[in-house]
Amino acid sequence: MLIKINFSKIFATVFAGLVFLSMISILGDILVSAFEHLSLSFLLEDVESAGRKGGVFPVIVSTLLILMVCMLVVLPLGILTSIHLCKYHEKKSSLHFLIRKLIEVLSGVPSIVFGLFGNSFFSVILDMGFSILSGGLTLALMALPLFIYTFERGLSSVPQKDYLVGKSLGLSSWRIYKEIILPQATPSLIVASVLSIGRALAETAALIFTSGYVDRMPESLFDSGRALSVHIYDLAMNVPGGDRNAYNSAFVLMFLILSINAFFHLLHKFYLRKSKAVEEIS
Amino acid sequence: MKILILSLLFCSQVYAVEKLVLTGSSTIAPVLSDIAKSFEKKNSNFRIDVQTGGSSRGVNDARKKLNDIGMVSRKLKDSEKDLSVYTIAKDGIALITHSENSISSLTETQVKQIYRGRIKNWKEVGGQDAAIVVVNKAEGRSTLELFLKFFKLKNSEINASVVIGDNEQGIKAVARNPNAIAYVSIGTAEFNQSVGTPIRLLDFKGVKASVKNVENGSYPISRELNLVTKDKPNSTAKLFIDYVLSKDASSIIREHYFVPVLKK
Repeated sequence: MLIKINFSKIFATVFAGLVFLSMISILGDILVSAFEHLSLSFLLEDVESAGRKGGVFPVIVSTLLILMVCMLVVLPLGILTSIHLCKYHEKKSSLHFLIRKLIEVLSGVPSIVFGLFGNSFFSVILDMGFSILSGGLTLALMALPLFIYTFERGLSSVPQKDYLVGKSLGLSSWRIYKEIILPQATPSLIVASVLSIGRALAETAALIFTSGYVDRMPESLFDSGRALSVHIYDLAMNVPGGDRNAYNSAFVLMFLILSINAFFHLLHKFYLRKSKAVEEIS
Repeated sequence: MKILILSLLFCSQVYAVEKLVLTGSSTIAPVLSDIAKSFEKKNSNFRIDVQTGGSSRGVNDARKKLNDIGMVSRKLKDSEKDLSVYTIAKDGIALITHSENSISSLTETQVKQIYRGRIKNWKEVGGQDAAIVVVNKAEGRSTLELFLKFFKLKNSEINASVVIGDNEQGIKAVARNPNAIAYVSIGTAEFNQSVGTPIRLLDFKGVKASVKNVENGSYPISRELNLVTKDKPNSTAKLFIDYVLSKDASSIIREHYFVPVLKK
């Protein structure tokens, strides 16, 4: 018995170590290559010579705009759909079942399929062309299943009695959600947002055909704008001599993702402290 | 926040500018977006949006009028003669191996046999005793089409160990594997060699694979880089195409290791 436990412990440690090592080696590779060449001007200059010279400022702006469009769609749609799906509405309709199955299927669809759909639907049929808008909307479609899946779990973990107590006091559903359920599910809302943002920022295939390839500073949401991931892909795979700036851009993207994660982590901590304080008072 | 979004949405209506959309070959896209930038600097009321997607997409989009100009990195097929064509540059395809490989040239038949999987070991063509790793391009790439056409091969005949998409990927695959062989754009290969990537460009039919030999036409495996439009190009498109064929643009084309074709 004792030996068995030790074995499993060793196995667990070894594999955890492997995962840790692979992550460190990716981060380390990017960090080492980027620190040799990276300078502040890289963040603030325009793209030149197909990305081999100059910086990535317009690309960063495009990336953030695409992300903004994406989250403006994902948050309201995602929150409302999760509320609709969660366990408080016990009536199991076939619509429920259908939505749930569709979300499961959609979360497994390869991103290039979303890209082609986004291109033919948003860019061609809705005539948005290659634009930040159609890129952001395509990403929203991709991120929604993940968001709903995560947030619905969080909502469902709030004790059902809270909902019933609210009902028994004659509160409207709106009040119950706003005052009781949603505040308790905030941690999962934060997690769902972080995961969605991560998925959106890492996306390349869906964006090449929707938000496009143009590395000029976008003037409106109807302009094409190159995302950082597309820029990295193009530099590494398509532009001779683009390797160095591909690493630099990868570093910028990594930094962006880590700082967004850190921001949400702090938000989470702040929220936990606040809710503890409220509990102590009551 | 709302005001910001609204103002962004309205911006495009306020500043009406002449806009051109180009789609197509990923080989041409980086060089044309560079040329587009220099064109925009000289003509501030133009916006040239260069997108990618591959040569076939460039042709299809031009036909469906989804773009103003299509980019096609091969000679147009007979079935595509409905489009107006402008050849802007040339590019050769080089066979590359790792620099540690002692082979310096292969005959046409040897290349064919290697890609068909009949010759499986470098020893059979006078090299070291090691299995040949054949790198092929993915379907839809114009380098693949040119390669197949030149060597009169069918893609289904090719016995590839690795299938890649872009030129840079091909170079990386060969640089990492001393027993690999691939075919990529000469310009890209020459640049990578000049910065020390361990690859060798094989001579073909006694001609050295170099940008210079593509320029003077002596190197046989070469392709055209074309722009296509559905009908006669409109005045904006014409203006841009003329600029791409001008002396100003040819220096940018050279920077990208292609051979410019000047307007006669």
